[in-house]
Amino acid sequence: MIISVKDLRVYFSSSRGAVKALDGVDVDVNEGEIVGLAGESGCGKSTLALAISRLILPPGKIVGGQVVYEGNDILRLSPNDFRKQYRWKKMAMIFQGSMNGFTPVFTIGYQIREVLEIHGYEGDYHDRMVDLLKMVELDPQIADRYPHELSGGQKQRAFIALALALDPPFLIADEPTTALDVVTQVNIMNLLKKLRREKGIAILLITHDLAVLSEIVDRIYILYAGKVAEFGTAKEIFESPKHPYTKGLIASIPTLTSTRISGIEGFMPDLANMPPGCKFYPRCPFVMEVCKKNEPELRTVGENQYAACWLY
Amino acid sequence: MQRVGSIKDPVMTFDNVSVFFTKKKFLGPKSVIKAVDSINLDVGHGEIVAVVGESGSGKTTLGRTAIGLQRATSGKVIFTDNNLNVDVSTARGRRWKELRKYLQIIFQDPFSSIDPNMRVYDALRIPLQSQGVRDKKEIEDRIYKVFSEVGLPSDLLWNYVFQLSGGQRQRVSIARVLLFSPSLVVADEAVSMLDVSLKGDILNIIKKIQNNFGVSFLFITHEMAVAKVIADRVAVMYLGNLVEIGTADKIVSNPLHPYTQALIQASPTIDPSLRETLRTVNVRGEIPPSNAHPPGCKFHPRCPFVMETCKHNIPSLKEVENGHYVSCWLY
Repeated sequence: MIISVKDLRVYFSSSRGAVKALDGVDVDVNEGEIVGLAGESGCGKSTLALAISRLILPPGKIVGGQVVYEGNDILRLSPNDFRKQYRWKKMAMIFQGSMNGFTPVFTIGYQIREVLEIHGYEGDYHDRMVDLLKMVELDPQIADRYPHELSGGQKQRAFIALALALDPPFLIADEPTTALDVVTQVNIMNLLKKLRREKGIAILLITHDLAVLSEIVDRIYILYAGKVAEFGTAKEIFESPKHPYTKGLIASIPTLTSTRISGIEGFMPDLANMPPGCKFYPRCPFVMEVCKKNEPELRTVGENQYAACWLY
Repeated sequence: MQRVGSIKDPVMTFDNVSVFFTKKKFLGPKSVIKAVDSINLDVGHGEIVAVVGESGSGKTTLGRTAIGLQRATSGKVIFTDNNLNVDVSTARGRRWKELRKYLQIIFQDPFSSIDPNMRVYDALRIPLQSQGVRDKKEIEDRIYKVFSEVGLPSDLLWNYVFQLSGGQRQRVSIARVLLFSPSLVVADEAVSMLDVSLKGDILNIIKKIQNNFGVSFLFITHEMAVAKVIADRVAVMYLGNLVEIGTADKIVSNPLHPYTQALIQASPTIDPSLRETLRTVNVRGEIPPSNAHPPGCKFHPRCPFVMETCKHNIPSLKEVENGHYVSCWLY
């Protein structure tokens, strides 16, 4: 196991009380595995990515839990140690808008070189840069260009190259293709698959687009209101979802073969003022008395599949 | 002569519509961006026509032109309904104000298209008053009616807009559009920002409005799957041109233009068995910048079937089978 998130709790303080963005979440990623994290906006999936990379800013606060990376709890490190030992080297992150993360006044090459330099890469910067750009299927000449001269897809590739600069074995990708066109999206997903296959990089892939996830991930976690509702292998989750929320999400995906799509009634509860019992019960078509009082725990519902639901 | 792509009894006809934007650099040359380039398209009464394309294809400009938010550089945008037969792109004055009632738009981002500091009731009251509805009782009745039409509980009317979630706000946008029993509604990426769990709800509301009130929609989207679910006909745009028009079923089951084929190949499916393989999309590179359209067929630099003629000659829309048009030298 490369990274293991244990009972992680992240609260944001607000005038209405603590907003529980993550309320006891466990997520594991094995070496060379692509793990998906899915859920509606506000379910806490981006907060999890930020917590792992220690980028939670006030009023947010990690109030409990551990993030164990190769045996060490990285939440206990001082910010300086984390930056020196982990960031870029052990883990890197790609964001939705990361193609806009390049500063417009320097060339792409300069910015990649800068990362290599600051983080003490040993070797020839230029050779490394050419390797990196080739790895993400970009023409190495792009190094001499400025960000505004590249298209959105090229910038996203260049940013992936940057993320790979120091050979991290673990990558967090938060909505890496959401702002891109469909054809470009396929190309970026292909690139992530290739990186995993050729370099054995483990990826935590966060997106609300379940259809895209279904084609790439080995395992998937479904988050709802700051908790894991269900997780399992891609095959289990997409072919036999158990939690009513997962079922609803999958039925809502528009595909070329669907003639009509359904939705899930209602809205996510207020994270500052959560109802007792199961967080999903106000929207659940199978709600029972027990759901309103007691919160279900994750239980085995398949070989590698777990769901937090009183139906099982 | 019958125009290409025309249908019987349209509510809106785009007759050779072009929209160009001119950019003048200081002391530099003028550059012309052809956002919409000679488009012929009809939208029937009570029909949902989806316009599909990548960013930069001109689909939003076309939508804005339909309701007069953008004036056409050349060509006519004819609106025919409610005893009117007007060119939207030249309408002015009182006629223009009257048109606004029948031509409505739902925007992509419900967080910026409604003033968050207004009460929901006011967000719906003000457009009614601006169109001359003065009677308090009538205003109230109409607001309650459209509110229930989009499935929102009436106690939300007294909330502030900022208290609503994205899905609720998008329903308010739809309610606002319905206030005037419109003839044609442009839905510009109306579900793109919404969570997957809400997409279906909003699409179903749009479908219901089409069925119950006979409202036509110009539904702009980048997702072929959404177009397939919602639309009667699909028009595919590439760099300002229409490259293919047909029924939603035909476009998905038998796409003719190489670009349409690529869009369909790129549409995600729910298939966990694909994770070991790479997906192939039969198209090269990315959409070129809007001020540098290639000569000949604009798609030729990316086309897998490119021939010599494509590089020099611009193809026009041809009817390949009944009601299915494509502009490609292959046919």
